Amino acid sequence: MGFSIPGHHGLRGVMTAFPSSQRNPVQAIGGHARSIAGWCLKEPTGAFGALILALLILAAIFAPVITSYEPNAVNYRDLLQPPGATHLLGTDELGRDIFSRLLYGARLSMAVGVSAVVLSVLVGVPIGLLSGYVGGFVDELIMRVFDSVIALPPLVLALTISALLGPGLVNATIAISIVSVPTYIRLTRGQVLSIKNEDYVLAARSIGVPVWNILFVHILPNAIAPVIVQASLGLGFAIILESSLSFIGLGAQPPVSTWGSMVQTSFQFLSLAPWFVIAPAVAIFAAVLGANLLGEGLRNSLDPHQKQRM
Amino acid sequence: MFAFIIRRTLASIPVLILVSLIVFFLMRLLPGDIIDLIVGQAQVEVSEETIAELRLQYGLDEPIYVQYFNWVGGMLRGDFGLSFRSHQPVIDIILPRLVPTLQIGLTALVLSAAFAIPFGAICAARPNSVWDRIGSMLTFVGASTPYFLAGGLLIYFVAFRMRMLPPSGFVLPTVDFWASMKHTIMPAITLALSLVAILIRQARASFSDVLRHPYIRTAYAKGLGETRVLIQHALKNALLPIVTILGLQLGTVFSGAVVTETVFAIPGIGRLLVDSILGRDYPIVQALVLLIAVAVVVATLIVDIVYGILDPRASRA
Repeated sequence: MGFSIPGHHGLRGVMTAFPSSQRNPVQAIGGHARSIAGWCLKEPTGAFGALILALLILAAIFAPVITSYEPNAVNYRDLLQPPGATHLLGTDELGRDIFSRLLYGARLSMAVGVSAVVLSVLVGVPIGLLSGYVGGFVDELIMRVFDSVIALPPLVLALTISALLGPGLVNATIAISIVSVPTYIRLTRGQVLSIKNEDYVLAARSIGVPVWNILFVHILPNAIAPVIVQASLGLGFAIILESSLSFIGLGAQPPVSTWGSMVQTSFQFLSLAPWFVIAPAVAIFAAVLGANLLGEGLRNSLDPHQKQRM
Repeated sequence: MFAFIIRRTLASIPVLILVSLIVFFLMRLLPGDIIDLIVGQAQVEVSEETIAELRLQYGLDEPIYVQYFNWVGGMLRGDFGLSFRSHQPVIDIILPRLVPTLQIGLTALVLSAAFAIPFGAICAARPNSVWDRIGSMLTFVGASTPYFLAGGLLIYFVAFRMRMLPPSGFVLPTVDFWASMKHTIMPAITLALSLVAILIRQARASFSDVLRHPYIRTAYAKGLGETRVLIQHALKNALLPIVTILGLQLGTVFSGAVVTETVFAIPGIGRLLVDSILGRDYPIVQALVLLIAVAVVVATLIVDIVYGILDPRASRA
């Protein structure tokens, strides 16, 4: 994306900060292909990822329309039925319809993934902006602390934090956000370092624009592209982390169930009812693949100079 | 060079101290006082005096910073405390559990490198070919497959249907080497899948960089075949960044161990960590988390130093 000068709306006030930061990436995609349809032709991989995610989100929203089975309706006459005409993906150990449980489970799995990404962006980006812009001791301290956090492998850290907060989906979301935050801090900080001495930032500073205004109105719109790419990849990361936590027993607690906790209960029936394990695991795979493909497509068009970070 | 090694080693000390502080305070924030847990497990009436005595015994009457230094000092001497549940020294519980985790982790690293480096090289040498497309597909599939999906499919097809390998458990290599290998192969492949995704990507990028150099064109021009150009000329220069990334995957190995050891019921440190968290055996959790973090920091340090030795330009930065 080009370094378009945000222009005079920088002085207009608080509210313009967010519209301008949202408009920018859209302009960047537009710069490549002018429209979403054009982008899909140019980035078929990314478009395929977006399609998978869109289908999953639609499936989650319209779950009651798509399936007539209640996800929690127990039916002791049809335990562990194989996939067939009556039960599309078979039934589980309590005779519940797996397909409808998958659809309803999509709501929670997607919600956890999206909230974790939003939360970590909302925390990570401001810290990164500040750290990069202020520099000096503050920057050094923030980077050292998060370097140490990164020394813990993601799942190990997420496990420990979940243990600390107690099992449950909300706490798992918080744990995943904490694990993801350093990436956003590092990314935003790097962007700020490369643009904080651009003429338009110096110009804003010299006429006395307040720091928060420079950060959010002048720097953020030009630093956001890699963050959007990372947010898409981060969605996949969050979904896989949530499912791992639930699989281990620290995520969703019964009666609440996500794809990950479905795999957890089903795993003991692997030899009897493999579809019971494979169905939710493939749903997780599809969602993560969708997020990764979309992220790759966005990277190619928004952030062509960035080195691949996966 | 020596100065570089010293400088780089010293620079990792603050990270280690910060990591130990984070782990220490995380554990202090855990729900429930340590003494409450012990008393709760005793399941008998415990008098106020006994509780006070226990606090004294565990050093909990000291100020928090003294507790921290006692804890760090103990660990430096190899004293990680006692397990809450089995009352054995933590170190005696952890050490035997390291064998399966490291054996599976190393096998996975070797398998993934042996597969991904040649594959990435072919992708780079023939961009947009069928191989390149398969490579990039593998990258996405590997990065998006949860361990329990790959593991579940392997267990179902290879162990249950074909009966070729045992579905779960572990045997020490000192007890029965072949049985040990049989138990290692499926978890290692499961773990290797995500490593392959990272490595193909890195190998492709690294070979693409090298293949742009004029000396490669010269090698082709004098009539060498693709295989010889890739192996004899490109490999040496392309290998360094790949090995660096490989060395940094120790964290992935530990993260992966948590899930794969649950999937395959392997008594390694990943499963130990999960069991200790679920069973609130905090001394074990604390020691394991710290050990893993230190291992990752040390691995990063070694990778940096080796890189500096092999490519002296890096050590001057």
